[in-house]
Amino acid sequence: MMHIDRTIGLLKQGKHVKEEAVYSLCLKLQELLMAEANVTHVDTPVTICGDIHGQLHDLLTLFEKSGGVEKTRYVFLGDFVDRGFYSLESFLLLLCYKLKYPDRITLIRGNHETRQITKVYGFYDEIMRKYGNSNVWRYCCEAFDYISLGAVIGNSIFCVHGGLSPDVATIDGIRAIDRKQEVPHEGAMCDLLWSDPDDVDKWSMSPRGAGYLFGQNEVNQFLHTNGVDLIARAHQLVMEGYKEMFDGGLVTVWSAPNYCYRCGNVAAVLRIEDDLQRNYTIFEAVQPQDGGGNAIIPTKKSQMDYFL
Amino acid sequence: MDSTVVSEGHTFSNTEPKRVKVYILENNEWKDTGTGFCIGEVSTKDEDPEQNAKDTGTKTEKKEAFLVVSDEEYPTNILLRSQLEGNIEYQRQEETLIVWKDLLGHDIALSFEESLGCDRLCDFIVQVQRHIEENISLVAVRSGDDGIGSVHEIITGPVTLPFTGAPQNTDTLFEALKIFNENTAYEYLKNETVEFVLQNDYVAMLIKFFETAEKEKELKNLLLISNIVKSLILYNQRDILELMVDDEHIMGVVGILEYDTEFPTMKANHREYLKLDAPTFKEILPLENDDLKLIVKKCFRLQFLKDVVLVRFLDDHNFNLFQDIILDLETCIIDVLEQEPFLANILALYDLPKDEENSFDDLEGKKNDGIKLIHQCVQMSKNLEDRDKTKFYKALVTMGLFNVLGYAFNVVTDPVLRILATDTIVTIIEHDILLVHNVAYKKQKLEAKKNNNSAEPLQNDGDDTDMDSKITDDMKFLMILSKILLSDKSPGLREQIIQALNTLLHPEGCFSSLDSDMEGMGSGSMLNEFNYRLNSEHNTNFNSVTKMNENMEDRELNSSMDSIENDQEFQLNEYFNNFYKQIAPVLFAPLIRSQDIPEEDATKETFDDHLLIHLVKLISFIATEHTRISSRKFILESHILKNIAALMKPTHILQLRLTALRCIKNIICLDDRYYHRYLMTNNLYDNIFELLKENIKSDNLANSCIQDLFRLIVHRYTISNIENSNIEELRQQTGVRISKKSNFSVLNKYLWNRFGDTLREISDVPAVNDMWSFYEKTQREKANASHSLNDHILNKISPTEEDEDIDISMSLSENVPDEAPGNADGRKRLHSDIE
Repeated sequence: MMHIDRTIGLLKQGKHVKEEAVYSLCLKLQELLMAEANVTHVDTPVTICGDIHGQLHDLLTLFEKSGGVEKTRYVFLGDFVDRGFYSLESFLLLLCYKLKYPDRITLIRGNHETRQITKVYGFYDEIMRKYGNSNVWRYCCEAFDYISLGAVIGNSIFCVHGGLSPDVATIDGIRAIDRKQEVPHEGAMCDLLWSDPDDVDKWSMSPRGAGYLFGQNEVNQFLHTNGVDLIARAHQLVMEGYKEMFDGGLVTVWSAPNYCYRCGNVAAVLRIEDDLQRNYTIFEAVQPQDGGGNAIIPTKKSQMDYFL
Repeated sequence: MDSTVVSEGHTFSNTEPKRVKVYILENNEWKDTGTGFCIGEVSTKDEDPEQNAKDTGTKTEKKEAFLVVSDEEYPTNILLRSQLEGNIEYQRQEETLIVWKDLLGHDIALSFEESLGCDRLCDFIVQVQRHIEENISLVAVRSGDDGIGSVHEIITGPVTLPFTGAPQNTDTLFEALKIFNENTAYEYLKNETVEFVLQNDYVAMLIKFFETAEKEKELKNLLLISNIVKSLILYNQRDILELMVDDEHIMGVVGILEYDTEFPTMKANHREYLKLDAPTFKEILPLENDDLKLIVKKCFRLQFLKDVVLVRFLDDHNFNLFQDIILDLETCIIDVLEQEPFLANILALYDLPKDEENSFDDLEGKKNDGIKLIHQCVQMSKNLEDRDKTKFYKALVTMGLFNVLGYAFNVVTDPVLRILATDTIVTIIEHDILLVHNVAYKKQKLEAKKNNNSAEPLQNDGDDTDMDSKITDDMKFLMILSKILLSDKSPGLREQIIQALNTLLHPEGCFSSLDSDMEGMGSGSMLNEFNYRLNSEHNTNFNSVTKMNENMEDRELNSSMDSIENDQEFQLNEYFNNFYKQIAPVLFAPLIRSQDIPEEDATKETFDDHLLIHLVKLISFIATEHTRISSRKFILESHILKNIAALMKPTHILQLRLTALRCIKNIICLDDRYYHRYLMTNNLYDNIFELLKENIKSDNLANSCIQDLFRLIVHRYTISNIENSNIEELRQQTGVRISKKSNFSVLNKYLWNRFGDTLREISDVPAVNDMWSFYEKTQREKANASHSLNDHILNKISPTEEDEDIDISMSLSENVPDEAPGNADGRKRLHSDIE
């Protein structure tokens, strides 16, 4: 536990964590996650958080504005990495919190928590920049494979990163997936991480090239079949931080303010009370600070020696 | 006729006559005033001598330009003579029209017979704007792509450019920023502005203003200057960017960019970072080439701008330009490194004669850094084009890359360095698609030569074990990797080695070489080189030998090009045969244990579970990807599946238990009769069901993993059932009896017979429910069949289903044990269930 506290301290300051430390943390996370179901059950009250995308300083703000992990239960809907410059630190911080407070953090896998996507959208490069080899990326990707695919809050809210799949009508049906794998290009597991809600009257092709577009019909059907009231998902930038659709049957929560350091959006988290009431907290991007309280500008500085 | 006029060194000739119709707008209607030939004419007019005398004291000439149209029938009749003057805007509308309003307010239009004519006169207008009347302009007007509205594009015209003199103040800077931003609107203005910036070294000027402003602490001006530089970056011009990162400008530019309107209260410390903290370029040996140094510096600075200074600012467009320039510079660097002695000198450090070793300070440190350097070069080469990569890797190999790797694998103990060395070789192997062919081919040639050559240059070192001496050349590298994998505990290095093995053992990568062009066959595969040189590692006159070998092989290789197609398949087989004969027994040793050892002892592991995870995955890989016959023979004869099934026991970590389960799942999916029988006759499903019992009440990964197995059985059963019903149809039509029993229906039956109790506990799982109904159905069919068969004479000659079930012995496995007594009970109970 001392070890984890020290790592958390390093991470909050954006400092380097040793390769061996990342390895052992990732192994510990594997062990913890293996005991979890594909769709885990979470009690209220709980705070639902959307995409983080490596914006470590905004993640710290998120915890600050929403009560902090000591007092609050959290569900993270995935996409911890890529785009921002602190993917590793963001993921490791969540990982450490998960190890330290296993009941208070639920992680759900996003479409970016895969080898293929992280190779293109920044996480892989970040690791190469910070460590000079790809091992830490491999350890993290191996851990990604163990992350749950969804969660159910108080038997009435279904949480998932992307959306629904025509291949699984019931939450129970998700149980029969062996989730420990790279996210496939098609099928239920892929759809859960890739689909988007849209104004369509039936399952439709997604412009993303993976997953489906689904509409009010599919949402109503799913809510009815599974006896839940709400689908909470992330996966799409919402300038206002959150967006309810389909008569409140679905909500998109987005938690990366000023996405990519330039989109100008605000971020939101959604707190679900014991009586299932929904409370949104909006927050903006902050000036990142280093450990000593000095403001810093997020960059991708290399930490390696150059020989050329 | 005045036909040639020189203006500012530019020679004007009257343009060739082009046929046009001339229109004048009168009362809002275009009136045709006749058809004729149009020329652009430039004439010289003496200025008022008095005026001239006053100004310069010498006689100067003033040029004037006209568009002149003479009547086609009466050439002396001039239809139009309109001077290009003032700030007239000429519009070229579509292909053949030029329209303008002259200074007297007449709207005039020239409609050309062909667009070529229009082109000529437009060129004329452009020349006149450049050299005589700089305030006129020419604008092209086309209808928009969508057919709605129109698109204006400036072809030529006056360009507003920023004030370059001193002193500058907030107003002039603000004006400059505005101009730079506005000038991006049209390609023409943009190009002119870029030209202006480069010609006048505007950036250097800005830097001077900046230095003053910073001294005077004029924050507003500092921010303006920063914004001007950013605007210039958005021009997305390679020349401007390269100028910004050269030695004269870089510090000024990053200094300017320390001020950012987005963070007005802060200042970044880019200059300080570049001066003090920037990664120092370690020169292991002095780098003599100054041009190369400059390119390296530029490359680093561009990266720095892209990743640090401008990281939040660049859009995809700019980002790509940065990437392109960097790639270009990297290509250049690699190219120079290939030719420079620099790399060769470093690589020579690993093969120094004993007496020279003391002439270097900290030779070990240099060698270790050398591994990092080469890794960096190879990393850098990753983005290069394939041809350049091939060239560079060959150069590296020729310079002695093998010595570096030999050093890394044999001498170095630091896992970080070993990882880098492995990563280097992995990158090279992954690129080299001609791997197997050349490996096998060269091997044969070498063998042949060895036999002919009594000098025997390729003798092994005496330290090698007996095992090693039986290793063929094409397996040397695989053997090194296998041994490191089994002995080195560093998880990172293991990951690298596994990746290398996956690449080396992937038949597709090898097959794809069959399609690739024959170019590059020349000096052959990297791996082959490496294997070969490993052999001669300790040989002193190795260099000359290698050269000789290469020449010989090349000649032979070329002469045998015709037979290559046939050879390749043979060579591929040879390669994998060697793998299964020589490497697999070593690599998979932890999974091959004597069957005599009692299970209790066998589970007392000497190998750690994380290593076993890798090996089990590799088994899964070779079973799926390699030729079925060779991989299956190895897997079954070595009884690897028994050991893998044993890894599902609770003494192992769950990750390994599930990896073992997945491996079995993959093998089931192969739908291979031999595997299916083997798994059943050896009761290898028992541990899966033990695992299931352990987790039957929990909703966790293990439970899901097993449910996935059931889902898979149902899926494959359904597919094979459809196939079977087609066969059945065929039987009915032709009367030919084809008996094909699906592996999955046999498996389903086996599972219910053996594990019925456990399965019934989870009958609410949809897949298990399906499995039950399949089972029920076959039981019912069998009951019916045996009733009818009893009455039938066929009963005596055709084997019953029961017989077929039992006939699951095979040459590869030991005797089939009888079904466990428990099963018979289970079946009885099931029968009664049905009844």
